[in-house]
Amino acid sequence: MTRSEFLLEMDDILGLPPGTLRGNEKLEELQNWDSTSLITLISLAESNNGVSLSLQRIVDCSTVGDLLQLAQVDGAVASI
Amino acid sequence: MRAEAENSNKVERRGSVTLPTTLPEILRKREVLKKELLQQENLVPVRIAILGGSTTSELRKMLELFLLANGIKPAFYESGYNRYRDDVLFENPELWQFKPDIVFFHTTWRNVSHFPDLLEQEARVEERVSSELARFTELWEKVHSELGALIVQNNFDLPNLRLLGNLEAAQSFGRVNFLMRLNTEFARYARSHSRLLISDIHYLAAEVGLDAWAGNQYWYNFHMAISPAATLALARNLAGMLQAVYGRSRKCLVLDLDNTLWGGVIGDDGVQNLLLGRDHPIGEAYLDFQQYVKDLKRRGILLAVCSKNERENAREGFTHPDSILKIEDFSAFKANWDTKPENIRAIAAELNIGLDSLVFVDDNPVERAVVAEQLPEVAVPDVGSDIASYAKAIERERYFELEKLVADDLSRSDFYNSNAARTVAEASFADYGEFLSSLDMSAEIGPFLPVYLERITQLINKTNQFNLTTRRYTSAEVESMASDPDWITIYGRLADRFGDNGLVSVIAGRVQDKMLQVDLWLMSCRVFKREMEFAMFDALVERCQELGVCKIVGVFIPSKKNAIVGSLYASLGFLSAGAKPNGETRWEYVVPRSYEPRNHYIRRSANALMAVASA
Repeated sequence: MTRSEFLLEMDDILGLPPGTLRGNEKLEELQNWDSTSLITLISLAESNNGVSLSLQRIVDCSTVGDLLQLAQVDGAVASI
Repeated sequence: MRAEAENSNKVERRGSVTLPTTLPEILRKREVLKKELLQQENLVPVRIAILGGSTTSELRKMLELFLLANGIKPAFYESGYNRYRDDVLFENPELWQFKPDIVFFHTTWRNVSHFPDLLEQEARVEERVSSELARFTELWEKVHSELGALIVQNNFDLPNLRLLGNLEAAQSFGRVNFLMRLNTEFARYARSHSRLLISDIHYLAAEVGLDAWAGNQYWYNFHMAISPAATLALARNLAGMLQAVYGRSRKCLVLDLDNTLWGGVIGDDGVQNLLLGRDHPIGEAYLDFQQYVKDLKRRGILLAVCSKNERENAREGFTHPDSILKIEDFSAFKANWDTKPENIRAIAAELNIGLDSLVFVDDNPVERAVVAEQLPEVAVPDVGSDIASYAKAIERERYFELEKLVADDLSRSDFYNSNAARTVAEASFADYGEFLSSLDMSAEIGPFLPVYLERITQLINKTNQFNLTTRRYTSAEVESMASDPDWITIYGRLADRFGDNGLVSVIAGRVQDKMLQVDLWLMSCRVFKREMEFAMFDALVERCQELGVCKIVGVFIPSKKNAIVGSLYASLGFLSAGAKPNGETRWEYVVPRSYEPRNHYIRRSANALMAVASA
């Protein structure tokens, strides 16, 4: 999955129009953001990669970019 | 009548959105799916309070999706984190004002207050079992008496760590053993309290796998006691249970033949070369699937065949010496070259059930797609093409979940099979009255009896066609009607020379100032056009005369499926007393001093149980 695919997926999950998220937003400032969205994204990241994420990595997430990293999206780290 | 069933099928939109089966697909599309599902017509509104021993928001979202897919539109109350006890014991006004129909206690092993100490004496452990149980019965009893809601209670899953290893299961002080004891006690309570249903998360956790079920990172981050994958399994399970409670479980399994009930193509291979039997791994898998299907029939699911085959070839398949299924197991049999959607429509019409009561199983993905596309109301599980996984694919969707198993369930196929015999008999009479006489019918009619309350509730919640008001009631409500002296309640059982039809009709209404307001009047489609409605009305008038009731008031509330009874009151001599813009009509009938019974063909038989009770 590419960075833009991941962002589109997040738009979808949060019920935002496609293309809304750019990657640098703070999670708690997002419209529609709640713990359920985080749960959704973590379980998606886990399913996509077939691994359990470590507790620390989840705790450290505060921006959309962190989530990109969490999901181990190709090229995400470099582009943020 | 049949045309009616077909018409109603066309407007029923249930099932037009199929939920994906995997967690990522569901998570990704959740919002879109919800919007689509909310577009469905005929959704049953249900108020559900989720009282959690852990975080429940994810469960609520997932449950909402599965309930919508099962035709139920939920409104939720959610307790605060781990407030399940306080909300009930201290009567949280928000919960009380919410007036739930269902209270779901989402508790897990993490909510056990005291596990036994190591080496604790068995007698002491038993005391702990009792006190742990008492912590829950206290809540259940309060919900029953104060809120009157149906309770759904998780039993206990197992922790994914075993301090004592295998001793956990063997020793009475072991946690595994202790949780199993509690589960036994929960089940015992449920057996004697019809208003409490056990959600078997002990089984679900095993099915998902304990580690995947627990998902520890979700516990530490969000205090979710179970992982998202587990939440999916639980939501699907709960939706199945509530579908049964609201009478929306499916009734009939429609099966393809070649490579579905046996390996091979009977028209090409011949019966002797079919893969079916214990001497071949694939043949054995088909045999086990046949056994599964036969077991479904035993517990009340109707079976039908829908196969592209020459009829004689198709029938010959069931003469295979190893075939567990026999031709007489099927209530409808369509083997021809018509399209499957055409045949499935014909099956629904023949059995007089809605398309939304059917589950279609076929190994051929093209046939599955055609049926799913053209008949969206029919459930079409993706069984894949591996016979070893067919049964599991059917099970996963909980199509046939039941709230209670009652004796009538076990003889359901007999009813339908004897209906086929009745149809043949009917054709041999030129005069319909002669046919009715020949049936030699007898009916047991009387006020609701405790022994029938489950069946009466089931009938109230399942009957769509002959149903004047389509009001649904829980078993507690039915119970209180039965014991309220202001209510007149009447049930009817009908038997004839072809067999016992069981309890098939219900009338209930409330008397106020010598006037009876009929709240419910319904009858199973099994006994349409047999004058049973007349026999019931005769009994109602009789009862009104006994009680000095002067007037009977009835309403007809039109639904998508009940047009067949639109003129019932008029035909019984009721006078129109107004209509509402929504099509609801009101009817009145003055109870005469002397009444000429309308039913001429059904004998009233004594009620054996009543006789026993009065003796």
